[in-house]
Order: sequence, then C-alpha cells, then structure tokens
Amino acid sequence: MDMAAPIPTAMGPPPMICDALTLAQWLSPSFPVGAFAYSHGLETAIQDKRIRTPKDLEDWLVDILLQGSGRNDCILLRMAYACDHPADLEHVDATARAFAPSAERLRETHLQGTAFSKTVRAVWPGEQPDLCYPVAIGYAARRMGLDLSLTAALYLQAIIGNLVSAAIRLVPLGQTDGQAVLAALTPLCRDIAAQTEGKTQDDMHSMAFLSDIAAMTHETLPHRIFRS
Amino acid sequence: MTLHQAGSLKMVFPNTHRRHMNAVLINTAGGITGGDRFDIRAQADAGASLTLTTQASEKAYRAQIGEIAQLTTTLTIENDARLNWLPQEMILFNHCALHRRLMINMTQSARLLMVEPLIFGRTAMGERLTDCIFRDRITVTRDRRPIYLDGMDLSGDAAARLARPAIANGAGAMASLLFVAPEASAKLSQIRAMLPITAGASMIAEDILVMRLLAADGYEMRRSLIPVLDYLSQSTLPLSWRL
Repeated sequence: MDMAAPIPTAMGPPPMICDALTLAQWLSPSFPVGAFAYSHGLETAIQDKRIRTPKDLEDWLVDILLQGSGRNDCILLRMAYACDHPADLEHVDATARAFAPSAERLRETHLQGTAFSKTVRAVWPGEQPDLCYPVAIGYAARRMGLDLSLTAALYLQAIIGNLVSAAIRLVPLGQTDGQAVLAALTPLCRDIAAQTEGKTQDDMHSMAFLSDIAAMTHETLPHRIFRS
Repeated sequence: MTLHQAGSLKMVFPNTHRRHMNAVLINTAGGITGGDRFDIRAQADAGASLTLTTQASEKAYRAQIGEIAQLTTTLTIENDARLNWLPQEMILFNHCALHRRLMINMTQSARLLMVEPLIFGRTAMGERLTDCIFRDRITVTRDRRPIYLDGMDLSGDAAARLARPAIANGAGAMASLLFVAPEASAKLSQIRAMLPITAGASMIAEDILVMRLLAADGYEMRRSLIPVLDYLSQSTLPLSWRL
C-alpha cells in the first residue's frame, strides 16, 4: 500500500519551529537568569565616555563578538553540545572558567548558567548540572535535541541584545537607536555562529583586551548599577 | 637540576647571593625567523625557587612566505616550589610568522609569577603590523585542571585590529600577568594603585590574580610593569629587566 503524502496541517509544525520556540523562551529577557544585572564591562566604558553614540556602541560590541567572549561563548556552547559524557562536560566548564578574564565576568557567566540550569531542571525534568552560561545552554540544547546552529545564533543575539539594553539604560541612547544597533549586528551573530562550527578550545582567543580591562576596573567604580 | 641545551638557545646562571636560582635564556641567533623551532623546558623541583628570564627582548623577524616559526615552552612547578617566568618583551616585526605556546603545569602548593610582554611592531621606527602571523596560547593547569587559559591570533592586518576600540585602541604594547599564590588577594589593591587607566587587575580565584596592561610603546609598558614585578617578586627581579 502506498504511503499517503504527509499533510502538513495534520503533522504539527516542522521541528525547526519547535526548536525556535523553545530557544525564544530560554533566551528571552523574562527567563530568570538575571541577565539585566550584567553589563560585561560596558558600564565602565560608558562612564569613561568611550561609548557615547550608537556607532561607538556598535563598534564595541563588534569587538566583543569577533575577538572576545561572543566567539568564545559560541565555541564553548558547541563543545558542550558535542559532549557525550558528563566528564567531558566538566572539562568544557573548566575551560569556560579558566578563560574568564576577571572576577565579575566569571560571576556573570557562572551565576547566569546556574540560574538557567535551575529553571530548566524544574520545567524540563532531567539531568542539567550547574555550568557556565554558554555551556549550560549548549548542554540543554543537546539534551532536548535542538538545532545546534540555531541555538548558537540565537544565543549570540540574546547576549548582544542584553548588552544593548544595558547601554540604553546607561547612555543617552534611545530605544530605537538600540534596536538599530542590534539589527546591524544580527548578520554578524549569524556569521560567527556558522564560522565556529568544528572549532575547539584551541581556537578560542581573548583579544577584546580593553573590554576585559573595563570589566576588571568595573570592580572599583565608585558608582555603578550593574554587577559587571 | 639537569641542563640540556642545543642550537642557538643557551641558558646561563648568574651568581646570586640568595637561595633563589636565576637562569637567563640567551638566543645567540639574535631572534626568531620562519622555520625556527625553539623548545624550552624547565622544572622547579619540590621546594625550589627559580626565576627564568631572557637576556634581551626577543625578536620575531620577517619570515619567508610559508615558513612559520614554533616556540614552545613547558614549565613544571612541583609542591612548595616557586617559579617566576619573566621573559623580556617579544617584539613582533611586520611580516613575522610565529606560533607560540606556553604550558605551565603546577601543583596545589606551588607558586607562580608569570608575565608575557609583547610589542606590536618596531614602534620607534613607526612600523605597523599590517601583515603578520602570530598565534599565541597560554595554558596553566593546577593538578591537571586548567586555571588560566589565554589565546591570541593576530594573523593578517594586526594593526587594523589593534586599532579597534575594545581591543587595544592603537596601543603599541601589551603585557599579561598571572600571579598564583596564597597571598595574591592581599596584593590586589596595591597593584591596582600602580596601574595606568589602560590596565586592570582582578582575582579569578581566591589565590589567582590576573592583570592585563596596554601601553603606547615598550618604554611605557616597562614603566608600569617593573614596579608591579618588583612588588610581586619581592625585589628579586633580574638585572636584565632594569630600564
């Protein structure tokens, strides 16, 4: 007997749409990881008047994406996704921690990852250890069988979106300016997510030196509203 | 200890009046060029105290197309030993090609002071790194777990990248420093007070202090770095490090 052609309306949505919906939930600002509390050193750069315009913000974020934690996080997320054994996952998490450039940046990735895992454990029962943020996302995506490249691209857009909203709270930058910066950076998020495919910890590098230094000196800012 | 040396790399041991041993690395070839292979290994045995430095700044010269020099350093620090890895600047010439790797393996009770100063082109003569290959990787493990990882890939037009606002904003020199010791956190505020605004220091664990310093050129870098190294090495900084 011939199989009937599938009727899309009776089959439910394609898997990619289900993946996108889960990721949109995980990476939404309402998912309780406390992302709003971290500026990744932006607060220092803004107080020092190094970021004053939408163009300044975009340039700063491009460096973080291409040469700093954006690209590194993407590699860590992919490494976590590839882990077959919990012991390998521990190694990826130790790598994430050892690459952290400062105390606050370590807390930023550690506390967000821990909060993410706690909620995921409660809502989607199963093993979800406390891990640094990109490692926790990569592992959860693997466990739920979500598309890896989609996870990586949406993760990058979410962290940049969070930094844009931090900048809006700190500089005389309007909501529309912020969205324009995020839209301008979205192709880069897509490209880095794709280019990090097959990369390992040997390909990670930390060259956003002034972003990292800004995170270090954030610890001694007299007036600050962010935790990093 | 045992000493094995071959090729253009020598090690000398200036007399010192302390229980502490100083060793100075000398590259008799005067620099590194494409195709060179350098392999440095040293170990501080249990309870030992060792400072390693270089006689002069190292130079990564212009390389022939297709040739990449390799410089690999492996350091081991046993229980209760202290190692100071204090090489002088690596000066990257335009068109250099170098893959560099530093691996430090230590135990829980070992101490480490590490610095890696880098100069981006012969800035005094206005040289810019418009085309080079430089890959660098630092891996520090304690009881086999990574505690500090750092990496750099300055291949291509490094000058354009270093001009970027969140990278180096045009700085001509950079130094990375790591200090692993039980008293590290007690040193943080003093070190911060010594630093210019283009530098930062932080504790990435209770006993692990990291510092990154950018400077206009090699001279400015030394001016900021030497007081920090003096302070952390308890004034045992080798003579070759003086301004």
